[in-house]
Amino acid sequence: MHPFAYTVSEPIKIDIWSDIACPWCYIGKRHLESGLASLGEQAPEVEITYHSFELAPDTPVDFEGSEVDFLARHKGLPEERVRQMLDHVTGVAATAGLDYDFEALQHTKTLKAHELLHFAKEQGLQLELTERLLRAYFTEGRHVGRVDELVELGAEVGLDAQAAREALDSGRFAAAVQADIAQAQAYGINGVPFFVIDGKYGISGAQPAEVFAQAITQVAGENAA
Amino acid sequence: MSDTVEREPDAAAAAPFAMIAGDPQAMVCEGDVCFVPGAIAE
Repeated sequence: MHPFAYTVSEPIKIDIWSDIACPWCYIGKRHLESGLASLGEQAPEVEITYHSFELAPDTPVDFEGSEVDFLARHKGLPEERVRQMLDHVTGVAATAGLDYDFEALQHTKTLKAHELLHFAKEQGLQLELTERLLRAYFTEGRHVGRVDELVELGAEVGLDAQAAREALDSGRFAAAVQADIAQAQAYGINGVPFFVIDGKYGISGAQPAEVFAQAITQVAGENAA
Repeated sequence: MSDTVEREPDAAAAAPFAMIAGDPQAMVCEGDVCFVPGAIAE
């Protein structure tokens, strides 16, 4: 008999704290997706929700220069060290099927992007927008800190452009962003990506696909018991 | 900023979930740096 034969009326909830400007969050997203895909027909239904985590609130919306410039000149990290770490993450991203372009990347504050993600959640398009913003930031060199560009990217995934602009201009999702950040602090989440599987298990970091697959399988089994 | 950092495990004891250790080499990002918890900042 299939181990989940008597399951699963409710989808497994996967809550993810991440930031658009977090290279390992995009990689972790791919690993989670790969882990789910590896379960094939046995994969339980899941319900994924992204939560805001602003890695560097002091980042300016408009920074003139590359990612190397930002980390080396603005943050004072050794330039050679910065290049090594960007090369490393670019290589790992490539193995996950992601074509990171740190030369084109436009470093920016992600607060407005998070507000738009909450608007998209309200519209049932949060997953689509999360993927679109990560791709825009890491592979296309798009500026995800400016309202005009965010509205354009939102429209690409089906958000109403005028409503998206109103949501950003009014700041009506700012409190929701801060509530996510406060929840992370309450949980002791210091870094991202961070995954909570069905409220039962926490997983920190861009873990391999099999870690996600095992955790989801375990939760499905527990829920079926 | 120090290169070598000792980090407390993510998720406080008050969190309503148990931590899955997974791969200890999995990267996380804090602020402007990403690192293996307990190892060298990247």
